[in-house]
Amino acid sequence: MIALLDTLKSHLPFSLLDDAAFKTIEAASQIAYYPQDTVLFSEGEIPQVIYLVIKGAVEATNNEDLIDVYHSNDVFAAIEVLKNSASTETYTVSEELICYEIPSETFLALTKEYPEFKTYFFSSIAERIDMLKEKRENVKAAEMMVARVDDSLLHPGCMVDADTDILEALRTLENSRASALIIKNEYGYGIVTDADLRYYILHKEEDNLRKISQIQSYPVIAIEEDELLFNVLLTMTEHNIKHLPVFDERKTLLGVLDLTDLLSYLSNQTHLIAMQMQKAENIEEVIKASERIEIMVSVLHAKGVKSRYIAKMVSEIHKKMYAKLFEFIFPESWHERCTLLLLGSEGRGEQILRTDQDNAIIFEEGFEPEEKEAVLLRFIETLDKIGFPRCQGNVMVINPEWSKDLAGYKSDIRLWIASPDYNGLMNMAIFYDTYAVAGNIALFKTLRDYLFEKVQAHKEYLSYFARSVESFESPLGFFSRFVSSDKKHKDEIDIKKGALFALIHGVRALSLEHTITKTNTTERIKELNNVGYMNKEDAHELLEALEIINTLRLHAQLEKLENEKEMDNYICLRTLGKLERDTLKEALKTVEQFKKRVAYHFHLAAVS
Amino acid sequence: MFGSLKRKWNRKHLTDERFAFLFDETASDEVVVFDCETTGLNPKKDALISIGAVKIKGNKILTNESLHLYIEQKEQISAKSITIHQIRHCDLENAIPLEEAIETFLHYIGNRTLAGYFLEFDVAMINKYIKPMLGITLPNKQEEVSAIYYDKKIATIPQGNIDLRFDTILDDLDLPRLQAHDALNDAVMTAMIYLKLKHVGRLKRI
Repeated sequence: MIALLDTLKSHLPFSLLDDAAFKTIEAASQIAYYPQDTVLFSEGEIPQVIYLVIKGAVEATNNEDLIDVYHSNDVFAAIEVLKNSASTETYTVSEELICYEIPSETFLALTKEYPEFKTYFFSSIAERIDMLKEKRENVKAAEMMVARVDDSLLHPGCMVDADTDILEALRTLENSRASALIIKNEYGYGIVTDADLRYYILHKEEDNLRKISQIQSYPVIAIEEDELLFNVLLTMTEHNIKHLPVFDERKTLLGVLDLTDLLSYLSNQTHLIAMQMQKAENIEEVIKASERIEIMVSVLHAKGVKSRYIAKMVSEIHKKMYAKLFEFIFPESWHERCTLLLLGSEGRGEQILRTDQDNAIIFEEGFEPEEKEAVLLRFIETLDKIGFPRCQGNVMVINPEWSKDLAGYKSDIRLWIASPDYNGLMNMAIFYDTYAVAGNIALFKTLRDYLFEKVQAHKEYLSYFARSVESFESPLGFFSRFVSSDKKHKDEIDIKKGALFALIHGVRALSLEHTITKTNTTERIKELNNVGYMNKEDAHELLEALEIINTLRLHAQLEKLENEKEMDNYICLRTLGKLERDTLKEALKTVEQFKKRVAYHFHLAAVS
Repeated sequence: MFGSLKRKWNRKHLTDERFAFLFDETASDEVVVFDCETTGLNPKKDALISIGAVKIKGNKILTNESLHLYIEQKEQISAKSITIHQIRHCDLENAIPLEEAIETFLHYIGNRTLAGYFLEFDVAMINKYIKPMLGITLPNKQEEVSAIYYDKKIATIPQGNIDLRFDTILDDLDLPRLQAHDALNDAVMTAMIYLKLKHVGRLKRI
């Protein structure tokens, strides 16, 4: 067996084949070398072989437009051969190529024999990314199992002495709202749970049951703090128990662990964090609760949860967090007279990891509290502590530009529309993504209505607003040339500049035109479908593209976080699997088409 | 001139006319790259274990016409050599007798030019067997890939020391390194080096 084929075995779609199939491929295929600029086959031709890239790169172009780029382990010409149809693109070697060539007859025979292999070539990007996720799913489950018991998981314990009267003990339990009763005996502890109470009810007369110690399960099965959750789960299932007291080294009761909580912890920590945030009674507790968000994100991601759901959960928790901070930091006298706003990615509910803090505040007209600066600074410093880097664009409440009264913002809006320069357009984009998180929401609604009214009255503004979708070139064109263009980020693409920005901004411009009040890009796309601008298929495709890009970005960012590297928006192409690269390419193509659509819609060619 | 004399001399000693095709004058546009796995590095003492070979035609390596032969061993393969070539006795299940292997190989190469890395060794290994069998040594034209590499490289760094190790050449030419270490995979890698060297205009300076 030629080892080149071996490496293929682990890559889709070849991983769907068996050894017999590989023998067939080996017996029929050749390795070919093509120098740069060789045209492998042109638009209108039917390729005679399936190409499998060993080294090098091939570009598929249609009338000079770059459609796709193929690298190591990529397959092309398969669809054309399967459909026996002429290629719609010209395939040119862009970087000296060594490839495998599988004759089309051999390939067709294999697709007949292995239906799954054939299906792969017709699968959608969504299906392909699902295949990818399945693969990733099990990775972090193991890590979770080695997490340890800590007090955030525990319910307060309720303890009584062994000779306490049963009814009195139960009353104590009832008042404490604990789920199990711990009994302190002369030697060691016992526990009373529902099962013991059943026994009590049925046998209290015949057995003359009075003291709580008479119905306890003794000795109690318990664990020490810091025990591995994995072992805890084993202990509980082994003894078939639902409540497990946790003691510290000195045998002091720390609390009781419930099986339901443990299971939901192992499946997802979200509700615990949300609860912790909800229960926070001071700033320190808010900070403590937010410390867990990052862990939750990486766990959810590893479990294959779609990034838009992760974003949603994070943003829900963040909203609770901001509401709490507002409550604790801003004086009560302010609460009805100002609105705390989240802007940018946080406003869209799309900031999964803490990339920056974007916030602003609207004051009621004429409301100018004395302690304003000190309070706002304290708010920002608390966010610093939680770990939100400051906004590089200085979009924060400590910047007077983003801390104004209603009239101040109204005049800003008029100015942004009247003179659409770089700053004005930026500010408009940031502001339109605003989510009012705390305070008097009505203030914000007034401002948003004002914004819509002004934009509708100056429709020509929208073309200026939309223009920046074209600011960055698609990285698809860079795929092979990127290496030389940016030494610092060899084989990497900036996914934010390359695609995410255009997608988000295009959706933003269309939403502004349709006076959509939603700020989240996913929800905006759905609204654009609802108002009839975009059909269901297009909306779905765009949502998928957004999902893929965000998933890959999140994956890269989590990895950087883990390795304590600076977080940015680069995705390293080399570390991507074949399938990931495929799906990314598909997503980038979708974004390119969407850009064209936006450009056409807003007549961008006419604006300059 | 000298070459053709030698060739005639060699031809005269051919004892088995079935192999006259080795001396066929009609030019072939194919090259055979081959590699031998042996029990050691001394062609006189050590034995041939396997032969891997592929043909090159134009810009293609004809892996669909590749040859991979394992040869029956009279003596136990020493533990030391197993660690080098990783061919164990159980890998020799499909092994064929030496004479059959040599004949198959000769039919495979025909009058084609031979290429290889440290080809001298592999040719010496084959000659050791065909000399007593047929009375001749391999008459085929030979091309040493490390020599081609050297010539291309020296043009870019006239005073430099040129590292001719196999892995260095592979890396320098940006070719994939195959994990499996056997005669066929080595031949395929060597074929890729050959192909690239034949087509590439200039090599990198470093």
